[in-house]
Amino acid sequence: MENITYLPQHNEITIFEHAASNHLPVLIKGPTGCGKTRFVQYMAEKLNRPLHTIACHDDLTASDLVGRHLIDANGTYWHDGPLTRAVREGGICYLDEVVEARKDTTVVLHPLSDHRRQLSLERTGEMLDAHPDFMLVLSYNPGYQNVIKGLKPSTRQRFVAMSFDYPTPEQEVVIVCQESGIDKQTATQLVSLANDLRRLNTHDLEEATSTRLLVYCAFLIKSGLEPRQACTACMAEPLTDDADTIRAIEHIIDNYF
Amino acid sequence: MEEYIGSIWHKLITRRATLDYPEAGVALTELSTELAVYFRALGGDPGKTVEIATVRKTPVYQRLVDRMAGNLGFTPSWQDERSLRLPATMAIFPVRELNERAYFWLTALAAQLPDIQHWSHENQQATRHLLQQRPGLAKYYQQLAEAYCDMRKDYYGSQINHSEQSLQQALLQPGSISHLPPDTNQLLPVMLWIYPSPLTALGSVTDDQLEDAPIAKQKSQQIHIGRKQTQRVDNEKETDGLMVFRLESLFSWTEQINVDRPEDEDVDDDAAAAADDLDIITLSRKRRASAGKIRFDMDLPALANDELPLGEGIRLAEWDFRKQAMRADYCLLQPMLADDARPSALPVELQNEVRKVKRGFAQLNPQSQWLNRQIQGDELDLNAWVQHVTQPQKDRDEPACYRSRQQQFRDLSCLLLADLSMSTDCGIDASTRVIDVIRDALLVFAEALSSTSDQLGVYGFSSVRNKQVRYHILKNFNEPYSDHVRGRILAIKPGFYTRMGSAIRQSVNVLRLQKTAQKLLLIISDGKPNDLDQYEGRYGIEDTRQAFLEAKREGIHPFCVTIDTDANTYLPYIFGDKGYCIVSDPTQLTRILPNLYLHLTRN
Repeated sequence: MENITYLPQHNEITIFEHAASNHLPVLIKGPTGCGKTRFVQYMAEKLNRPLHTIACHDDLTASDLVGRHLIDANGTYWHDGPLTRAVREGGICYLDEVVEARKDTTVVLHPLSDHRRQLSLERTGEMLDAHPDFMLVLSYNPGYQNVIKGLKPSTRQRFVAMSFDYPTPEQEVVIVCQESGIDKQTATQLVSLANDLRRLNTHDLEEATSTRLLVYCAFLIKSGLEPRQACTACMAEPLTDDADTIRAIEHIIDNYF
Repeated sequence: MEEYIGSIWHKLITRRATLDYPEAGVALTELSTELAVYFRALGGDPGKTVEIATVRKTPVYQRLVDRMAGNLGFTPSWQDERSLRLPATMAIFPVRELNERAYFWLTALAAQLPDIQHWSHENQQATRHLLQQRPGLAKYYQQLAEAYCDMRKDYYGSQINHSEQSLQQALLQPGSISHLPPDTNQLLPVMLWIYPSPLTALGSVTDDQLEDAPIAKQKSQQIHIGRKQTQRVDNEKETDGLMVFRLESLFSWTEQINVDRPEDEDVDDDAAAAADDLDIITLSRKRRASAGKIRFDMDLPALANDELPLGEGIRLAEWDFRKQAMRADYCLLQPMLADDARPSALPVELQNEVRKVKRGFAQLNPQSQWLNRQIQGDELDLNAWVQHVTQPQKDRDEPACYRSRQQQFRDLSCLLLADLSMSTDCGIDASTRVIDVIRDALLVFAEALSSTSDQLGVYGFSSVRNKQVRYHILKNFNEPYSDHVRGRILAIKPGFYTRMGSAIRQSVNVLRLQKTAQKLLLIISDGKPNDLDQYEGRYGIEDTRQAFLEAKREGIHPFCVTIDTDANTYLPYIFGDKGYCIVSDPTQLTRILPNLYLHLTRN
């Protein structure tokens, strides 16, 4: 397996390692595309545990996590969901963007995330004790306050939590260079551009330019696309639909390329 | 005939005299929204808007033909606390694109120069700073500067002097001229630079004078000191006038000083210093009372001039934090209806904003969605079928294992409650009051939300003690959004005080009748809850907090939007960490409110 690179922002690696050795679940907060998933992948590799990633969506039910009965030629059989598999075999179960999941899904996690570390399979009547290497990791984006969505305090209280943010410009340049193989000069310009756009976060844009988009943009430039076109495609259009804002962003792009 | 010749002469001479290229001109209004975004991205204060600058009259170098044409002014670009001012049209270049670029250039420069003290030096430094990091911008700037200097050379022709030459060099190679000659302000104004705001005197354009220009920026300072130990004394029994104690036992600083002093000149500083020096702050009831502010009880309007009261009024309870108990039926809430408000159409100046917000709200409209586990439907739900088959005990003969496409169910009602107390009468700037901003925000929000399926009620409130909490019905839930509603919103007036708790309780009562699954109570406020009686400070805050908790218990989501920038000190206590938001620039309320609603209610 190819080695995953990750540039630590702060003390997140130490905290994660301590949480893992003490069998504690972890909650990661941070804006879109700032490296949450990459961090979990990196830690899974570092701790040498298999990673089960589940991208949460609003149709995700408890049985999608836990498992369900299926039929084949020999009749019905039980099929473990990703969460059950991780609980049985050990490994990191990573629920990405957990607020997107239905509210009832998070209840399944409660007995797993406290001292009991148990998963009950109602359909089969089993009560599973988690493997010592099992670790639960949730992530979500606290960027907006929403009446309908949000993590319940009773759920949040069960986790060791960490906040992520976009890396500092110097770190971000290193990341963009490393990920895409682009030259440092262009990477610096891209990062400065992204930081200009991040100032629009509270006013004109719902969400700021993510490091991921920056890396995408660097890929496009590296493969020969004209930089301004790449920037418009990666940093203007994905962020807003408002024509005036897009035009303004194009002018900001012109400042750099 | 004279007039005719005169007008021809005027046209001829002004055309000769003008430096502009009207055919290539760009109007600021075409670009202002883009420029505002650009300004913020480059680090400009996000609260500022982009506005048109007016002509300034300055003594500048002029050719004979200019003087004959009466060209005496120019339009500088500048900014103050409120906004960035740019010329109404930009036509200094013969090519439209360059004129557009000039606008963006000035905006970028202004974002770097929030405050100018040393005009030519800072403009050059800011230019250099901008260009160093932004190679694209450097390229455009070079084009602009060269074209501009060519234009200036043409203008001066053989009259060109040393100052002008240095100025042009400063434009072409920013940072190369550290001090421009003092007669620079006699030259043609520099359209590519940002000028100081006109509050600094006219001659301020020169560096020398600018150096002594007062930069005093009076900021009201709040005194923050650690909490002091307090002690109350009873001074009722003290004798007046006659000194019955020995002089050596006079109280020192740290003890009570019962002297009526005239106020010191700088009250704030002195109080802070004194408070720092004191170990114990002595409070005495009597002195405090005499120092208290004089407060007026605002009379209620005569019945004939007032809005129509509906019914006898509603008795509501109030929370007394000292007793930790509700005072039953303590407040009388009077629903009111402005029945004489004239029906009205949407004001023209808001139409653009409404169109934008409506576009954003389009996503609230029902979208179709697949529903699983239906008894009837268009497709087989395989998961449900497998589950049905694998279930050891069948509880039903007819399995629900179809999928059908259905309109997404959005089941939400929102009550918008606006604070209409007297404090909303204060001005944000010369022409706008808080109430105007609230009114526009209500209009735009109601107008846009009426195009969606969400239920909306709009109410306003103010209060005069507990005897009359005025609850203005602007739009109730059952009423369609119409010219009548608009008329009522347009007719809102500030008055009286803010008994927020009662208004929230009544809103909860109204929302309780709504049959929707989700209920949102959106409160627009401009300050702390307060009223003339004890409803002030802690009492009002505690009561509002209770009302908030009651609303939550009813399954309603209360959310407060405030324009009080000090609200951080009390709102977290009332509404919790996630229950409020502070709008630092009130003029943005019209834009922020709909966005906030989208965030709060997104599926």
